[in-house]
Amino acid sequence: MPERLVTVVPEDGIHARPASKFVEAANEAAADIRVGRPGEDLVNAASMLSVTGLDVGPGEEVQVVAEGDGAETALDQLERILRTPEDEL
Amino acid sequence: MTPLSGVGRAVWYAPDLDTDDPPDGGSIDPSAELARFESARADARAAIEADRERAAEQVGEAEAAVFDAHVQFLDDPQVTAGVEDEIDAGAAAEQAVERTFAGFIEQFEASDGRMSDRADDLRDVRDRLVRALSGADGVDLAALPAGSVILAERLTPSDTAKLDPNRVAGFATVAGGRTSHAAIFARSLAIPAVVGVGEPLRDVEGGASVAVDGVEDTVVIDPDPETRTAAASDDDHERREAPATTTDGTSIEVAANVGTVADLEPAVESGADGIGLLRTEFLFLDRSTPPTEDEQYRAYRRALEAFPDDRVVVRTLDAGGDKRIDFLELPDEENPFLGERGVRRSLGPDASLFETQLRALLRAARDFERGEGGLSVMLPFVTTVEEVRTARETFSSVAAALDVDDADRPEFGVMVETPAAALLADAIVDHIEFFSIGTNDLTQYVMAAERGNGRVEPLTDDRQPAVLRAIQATVEAAESEDVWVGMCGEMAGDPDLTPLLVGLGIDELSMSPVAVPRVKQAVTDVRDADARALAERALAASTSDEVAQLIEAHRS
Repeated sequence: MPERLVTVVPEDGIHARPASKFVEAANEAAADIRVGRPGEDLVNAASMLSVTGLDVGPGEEVQVVAEGDGAETALDQLERILRTPEDEL
Repeated sequence: MTPLSGVGRAVWYAPDLDTDDPPDGGSIDPSAELARFESARADARAAIEADRERAAEQVGEAEAAVFDAHVQFLDDPQVTAGVEDEIDAGAAAEQAVERTFAGFIEQFEASDGRMSDRADDLRDVRDRLVRALSGADGVDLAALPAGSVILAERLTPSDTAKLDPNRVAGFATVAGGRTSHAAIFARSLAIPAVVGVGEPLRDVEGGASVAVDGVEDTVVIDPDPETRTAAASDDDHERREAPATTTDGTSIEVAANVGTVADLEPAVESGADGIGLLRTEFLFLDRSTPPTEDEQYRAYRRALEAFPDDRVVVRTLDAGGDKRIDFLELPDEENPFLGERGVRRSLGPDASLFETQLRALLRAARDFERGEGGLSVMLPFVTTVEEVRTARETFSSVAAALDVDDADRPEFGVMVETPAAALLADAIVDHIEFFSIGTNDLTQYVMAAERGNGRVEPLTDDRQPAVLRAIQATVEAAESEDVWVGMCGEMAGDPDLTPLLVGLGIDELSMSPVAVPRVKQAVTDVRDADARALAERALAASTSDEVAQLIEAHRS
């Protein structure tokens, strides 16, 4: 299953606007996306509650896993969101 | 100008939501409750989207994005599943919503910092759903008496987005943190605020005199005269009214964008030097027949009376694109943004509406005894010289038919919001008295990228060099014929960009009234030579990053 390890750049972590963009992209992707801290339980990336509930801060590493059509493309986009500073998002 | 201090009468704000008692009647029909929930969700979504739009206009696109998160919470699969389970187990929709959210709010609050601030977002979404279910209206924060200091347990993003900085003296909350939206919105709107005062705030009685100092983070009850004067002077109306000039004495008109007659008062109170964009669509929306000439005349008179000594720029009807006017039966176009909109309709199917509007405008200009200001008429969505010439001929013939003296005749100008208008500005300039650059559309059309489409968002940055060059082409054409050039998009209301815009040679900046005081302040900090040097460097830049860095370097 395609996956990425990404260090989170936005200063809010995966909250607020970055979280919103992340969840939006996960919802638009045809693939099923899950996200979480490496080695811990992953949650549904299309759920704002779940993603916010991870409480990931800036500088933390997360694992993003995709399964289904367009998995790699979806991961590219999600990775870009997590690597983009907030004021450029 | 940073968050200030303010003094006023304390008003406790308590949104009163009663969800404890199940509705009357013992038996609950799960499928009916589910349908009520679905319908409440649709209402809540519409309310969030309306708030988002207003926040984008008044506060900024970045801050408005919180409402995107609210829609996502509303549509969250866990919320849907939770509510459905509760309803299946026999709960009414209200209780199902309440219980489902209670669990998530508790979970969010159990951690500290950013996540507990997000619990406010959940409360906001929950309250909207409950309000939609009960049919109750929220307390209208915009209707509080002027000069109120709002005290609340907490303020949600939708509460805060409704605050009018020209009326509210400040606010303080018991709970909430620095990254709560209440705090962020307060900073953007320059409303004095102290968020998260804690338990002692509860002891303040409604009606008490209170000073809120957002810099020192203090709330003072019954302030002594010295504190009171210091706090109140930050809100000095005279200072607001003063025209804005740079340190070298260059005067920049800082005007307000007005979308309805109800916006006139906030525009006056903001200290704006006139109206740089009076949108007239409000006269045409939500009705089955066009407004009469007299009805329009009265509305334009009111705008002129609100600003008797200042310029009032009225944009003729801009139908089409995203602006649907019911009685016009606009055609279904594959791509309305590239279709028949603005002046294209005024010179085509809406020609008689256009003439009626011009008659109403010219009569208002003729009848109104004005000071230095007066009325200006502006065409939207211009792309060719022929359009400008034809519209001008209509304008002149209506003026002649009404016996309008040359002295009373309004200025005639066009909006620059297409690449064609910017590229042709040196030809268009022969037919007009002013340009006003509509940066929202100009940026979309220059960059071929829709604002609000997250996938292309970096392209919709006003700081894109291609956008700056389109602005420059317009300013150059204006300077060659000595006509003035204004700007009425969101770019004009961003104080960080004020030095760049002054340096580029913009004469007038028009914006949402809430932005007027901070842009005036920004103008007074501008040094002309520095601003020109900044503009030159920005025009030589090849990427938006370079432009952003230049602006950042200029600030520090």
